[in-house]
Amino acid sequence: MHYDIALAWESLPTLLQGTLTTFIVLLPVLVLGLLISIPVALARLERGPGSLLAAAYIIFFRGVPSIVLLYLIYSGLPQFSVIRNTALWTLFSNAYFCAWVGLTLTHSGYMGEIVRGGLAAVPPGTIEAAQALGLGRMQILFKLRLPMAARYALRAYQNELLIMVKSTSAVSAITLVDLTAAANTVFDYTYDPFTPLVTAAGIYWVIINAMRYAFNVADSRLNRHLALK
Amino acid sequence: MPATQATAAPPTEKPDMQMAVSVRGLNKHYGAFHALKDIDLDVANGEIVIICGPSGSGKSSLIRCINHLEQHNSGTIHVNGLELTGKPARVMEVRRSLGMVFQNFNLFPHMTVLANCTFALRQALRMPQAEAEEVAREHLQQVNVLDQAAKYPGELSGGQQQRVAIARALCLKPRIMLFDEPTSALDPESVGSVLRIMEKLAATGITMICVTHEIGFARRVAHRCVFMERGEIVENAPTAQFFSNPDSPRLKAFLDQVL
Amino acid sequence: MPLLGFVEQLGLGAMVTIEVAVLSYLLALLVGTLFALATVRRRPIVNAIWQVYASIFTGVPSLLVAFLFYYAGSGMLASLFSVVGMRVNIEVNPFAAAVVALGLVYGAYIADIVRSAIHNVPPGQFEAANVLLIPRPTAWFFVILPQVLRLALPALSNMWIVVLKDTALISLIGLKEIMTYARLASGVTKEPFIYFILAAAFFLLMTGLTYLVTQRIEGWTGRGLRRAAPAREETARAL
Repeated sequence: MHYDIALAWESLPTLLQGTLTTFIVLLPVLVLGLLISIPVALARLERGPGSLLAAAYIIFFRGVPSIVLLYLIYSGLPQFSVIRNTALWTLFSNAYFCAWVGLTLTHSGYMGEIVRGGLAAVPPGTIEAAQALGLGRMQILFKLRLPMAARYALRAYQNELLIMVKSTSAVSAITLVDLTAAANTVFDYTYDPFTPLVTAAGIYWVIINAMRYAFNVADSRLNRHLALK
Repeated sequence: MPATQATAAPPTEKPDMQMAVSVRGLNKHYGAFHALKDIDLDVANGEIVIICGPSGSGKSSLIRCINHLEQHNSGTIHVNGLELTGKPARVMEVRRSLGMVFQNFNLFPHMTVLANCTFALRQALRMPQAEAEEVAREHLQQVNVLDQAAKYPGELSGGQQQRVAIARALCLKPRIMLFDEPTSALDPESVGSVLRIMEKLAATGITMICVTHEIGFARRVAHRCVFMERGEIVENAPTAQFFSNPDSPRLKAFLDQVL
Repeated sequence: MPLLGFVEQLGLGAMVTIEVAVLSYLLALLVGTLFALATVRRRPIVNAIWQVYASIFTGVPSLLVAFLFYYAGSGMLASLFSVVGMRVNIEVNPFAAAVVALGLVYGAYIADIVRSAIHNVPPGQFEAANVLLIPRPTAWFFVILPQVLRLALPALSNMWIVVLKDTALISLIGLKEIMTYARLASGVTKEPFIYFILAAAFFLLMTGLTYLVTQRIEGWTGRGLRRAAPAREETARAL
């Protein structure tokens, strides 16, 4: 097994195309997942049926592997006529749509727990002070609790984000040609498994470490006020 | 870093076997911070020495250097005539004569009280289980904690835990007991119970070096008291003189504050 | 309706899933603990090796690593052994590729978990063992590691679930486990939904079981430690 530089260079366009697909899948998932997770986390912090529902949501989508969800949505849902015979079909027959839905559900499950943890870490005294100053619930939520929660949750979010990037490789199961699948196709028609897979690994590595670096910068910026002189 | 011969200390009698602990020209740095400055100290066999002083004075560092929990940078430490070099075999030998009681007890949380005491006997002295238990029970009885033998440290009060820690140290029959602020982490009720045990221990003639803030205890029990401030020994005198007629103005000020 | 037959197959597949997950996890524990012990103190060469290993195996999807080991594994091993002059032809089956891939990838995460737990054992424990003349290996085994286990348990338990779920993804390399049989059954019966729901149920069940077992273990490792003040937890939950 040796690394074929020439092949690597030649196959780069295919691999980069796969990388693009990876990002097309990833970015909406990150945004939607975060948006959905906030009400879930807030519900979880209340008492009553909403909290139980939110807990069930989190448990379900953290407990089921994303590949199972993808199959359920892409292969399973079309079984039902309500999906197949209506306008919904235009959505659910599209592999991208299914990937977005499936991965968003998983991501929002994990994010729900992370956001909840961040909110729970906000010192209650700060909130009480804000209430005493006459600030309304929504103001406190958006101007105080969420920004502070973000700071506490940053580390956990970083971990989840990096995991999510790597989880996108699951979409190859539902016909999307992401970076991993692209590497496999190169292998398919060149019979060299080593070069394309290692090259793809290299590309993932660059992406992941670029994100790590960005997070470290963000971390030190945000916690500047806590740093020792 | 290996200890080197003292150069700054004035020539005194060579460390002799009568001295339990003999420290000459001891220096300890933590990075740029000079924690111990040319410390000279002798503790005779059977002597009870209290070390007191404000926080940051180096009292804990001194005691921790004596049993090599910290490596000193220069100067010599002799325990029962043996010089404490950095070598592991020597350190073990020296530690055989030393028992240590920590401010935070440092009991093993996942072992019962009895197991805490028998563990060292079995592992360090290779004593058989039955014999180890006997020895352990005896010492637990002496510190009035035998009825807790089957419990775990987390189920005991602070005072009880510290007494177990004392028993655990005594099981190995050390000649010299070191105490690093043994009552500082205890609530006021527990302090008394621990001090009573320490007084009982003092009466047995064992050598004790104790870092503490408990001035009343020092007055009752100590042969000599040592006052440290900012890494130096400011005063080192027999108890009576230490309290009634302190030499240095800094000691006077300290005593005024605490008494 | 061959429904029952397929469910049976799913069950068999589930057992393979568990097998792969268990072996991978054990390998990861071994690799992780070794690296953790080696990197507790900063030693330049060992640290460098660790950084490279961790960077690679946490920077790449486990599925890709599994593909690499499965498709290129024989070739890589052959090249490796030819360096020492041996000619080998080792067939790498999906099972082995999966276990080694998951073991190496999650070994890196477990190393961080174990090392962090070691650093969180109060230094006084080491000191007490030292002054009591406990020999080093004994001290590590009987005093330190039990406490490391207690501290690391929540994270280790999480990691187990992660490994188990990743096994489902790794099935894409051709491993005959629960997902493969679910796909098979779906293809034949044209009723994918029920089979994938069953697969989902399997994973949820395992999550639940893990939770129960972890609670048990937590109870045992935390024996004798006072429970955290329940009042504090209530306040946190109320917000």
